[in-house]
Amino acid sequence: MIEQLRVKFARRGQAFGLAPSFILPLKGKILKRALQMGIGPKKNTADILFYGLTALASFTVLMIILGVFFVLLKESALSIREFGVIRFISSTDWNPVTESFGAATNLFGTAVTTLLAMVMAIPVALGIAIFITEVAPSSLKGPVGAAIELLAAIPSIIYGMWGLFTLAPIMAEYIEPALQSTLGRVPLLGILFHGTPMGIDILTASVVLSIMIIPFTASISRDAFNLTPSVVKESAYALGATRWEVVKNVVVPYSKIGIFGGAVLSLGRALGETMAVAFVLGNNHQITSSLFDAAATITVTLANEFTEADTNLYLSSLFYLALLLFVLSFLTLAVAKFFMLRTERRHSR
Amino acid sequence: MTRARMRKLESVGALALCSLAAFAGLFWLVFILGDVLVHGIKALHLHLFFKDPVPPGMQGGGLRNAFVGQLLITFAATIIGVPMGILGGTFLAEYARGKWMARIISVLSDIMVSVPSIVIGTFIYALMVRPFGHFNGWAGAVALAIIMVPVVVRTTESMLTLVPWTLREAAFALGAPYYKVITQVVYRGAAAGILTGVLLSIARVAGETAPLLFTSFNNNFFSTDMNGPIASLTVTIFQYAMGPYEDWHRQAWAASFIIALFILVITIIGRTIVKMRYDKG
Repeated sequence: MIEQLRVKFARRGQAFGLAPSFILPLKGKILKRALQMGIGPKKNTADILFYGLTALASFTVLMIILGVFFVLLKESALSIREFGVIRFISSTDWNPVTESFGAATNLFGTAVTTLLAMVMAIPVALGIAIFITEVAPSSLKGPVGAAIELLAAIPSIIYGMWGLFTLAPIMAEYIEPALQSTLGRVPLLGILFHGTPMGIDILTASVVLSIMIIPFTASISRDAFNLTPSVVKESAYALGATRWEVVKNVVVPYSKIGIFGGAVLSLGRALGETMAVAFVLGNNHQITSSLFDAAATITVTLANEFTEADTNLYLSSLFYLALLLFVLSFLTLAVAKFFMLRTERRHSR
Repeated sequence: MTRARMRKLESVGALALCSLAAFAGLFWLVFILGDVLVHGIKALHLHLFFKDPVPPGMQGGGLRNAFVGQLLITFAATIIGVPMGILGGTFLAEYARGKWMARIISVLSDIMVSVPSIVIGTFIYALMVRPFGHFNGWAGAVALAIIMVPVVVRTTESMLTLVPWTLREAAFALGAPYYKVITQVVYRGAAAGILTGVLLSIARVAGETAPLLFTSFNNNFFSTDMNGPIASLTVTIFQYAMGPYEDWHRQAWAASFIIALFILVITIIGRTIVKMRYDKG
């Protein structure tokens, strides 16, 4: 068998102009390679063509990611040279007239809306996941799960419209005055709730954002919860644990890496959300202590000002913002993916 | 006894809170969709589909230009993005199965799915708008295609891996070259799954606004010229909703209703296909 292969390989070698005496002594690893390449499915031109086509298509993913990074880097070079990295990130200036640009107000807006949204979304999302996996009767599991996932399919512009026309007036009329007259009276907390409630502010944007990220976190947490082996849960029940104790002491600890991954993934999503926030944040470049003030995130600034940038430095600074956002969200998503892969690996073992 | 009762109470209380959370989620869904439905149906009118916009501030007119533009852009994006995604997914699941390169590309695609779409918009602006000096429909289509590719790559990859390896071996044994095995055996086995991936990716980009803002931009006039700025429903919604006129707001609601309906129907069809095909056993 091996001898036949060796002869066959030698013939192939001859076709490429190599002498049989050169090929024949090659043994072991190389022969194995030859086996893999020569034997098995027949190869012909069409096959090689198809191979090349598919390889090319899958490498475009890689090329796009590298392309985005380098193109944004090149376009923002002017601004990077002008303002540097530290100065750009720490400067609160955003003045197209004097051409002085800094990302601090945008980073502030992005960080505050994202954090607030996470604080509001994660408990609800975990509650939903627990409800679907542990509480709901099996006839409800499917419909509730599907409904939550439909929430994820609604495009962000609809969240934005709804936020602007429906939620913002409700916030300005009822919720924000109520917050002001209760929590606003508490000495240190009060600083978060001063000013006139207009509805177009950080709080409303965070609420819309939190509704948007609930489905992601909920469906990933649900998948993580479902990975808990039922034997472990049953043993806890056999020891007399209540349902909540099983959730709290068995299911959640067992799936905490998955939950963490899901939370970080929704953080990455929230960082880059544009339209839902653009309607209700007001695009005002400022750092403020009150949740009832307008602000600007990186995405909102890009959406509102990109087509209006009239000078090269202005446009370049906007590209710089986009680059910052890309790097930030890419790193966040990579961390999320890392944790999710770890859960997968643990369970496939 | 009291301790046991306390634990039981705690359990009931905590799980009641979880149920409350689930109903809060459902509440938002009903609230948002209901709101779009009520406002949208009220504003729905045949003129919306068959008339072009009138000058700002005037009553009447429709969004024919935006409907046509949206269809053109989405269609072009699908033509570019779907074949690329399917081929890319094929490479990962077939030729490069299990290789480290395939793993990396697969993980990167997963990350790409969530990369902010507005960043893609700026990227395409630099590549396809600035060099030509004007906004154009093709740029919008390419931006959407870039968003589609990773979605299709990942679903195709996972659907092809579900096709049993023995099926391929049977085809190899008949002497078929690999590409024939893939196109005639593997694709057929995974067709429903791939179709679902394609549908979901169309649903995903149909509602995208941010990447179109500075690529295809907007156009108040009827145009089918993909080389110039072209209107899209989503960008029009953004412009109209932020505008000062009551009539604009009405039309924005109607357009939102149509988009939401389109996306939800596609999503539900996709999910039903998966359910019918893969939940049997």
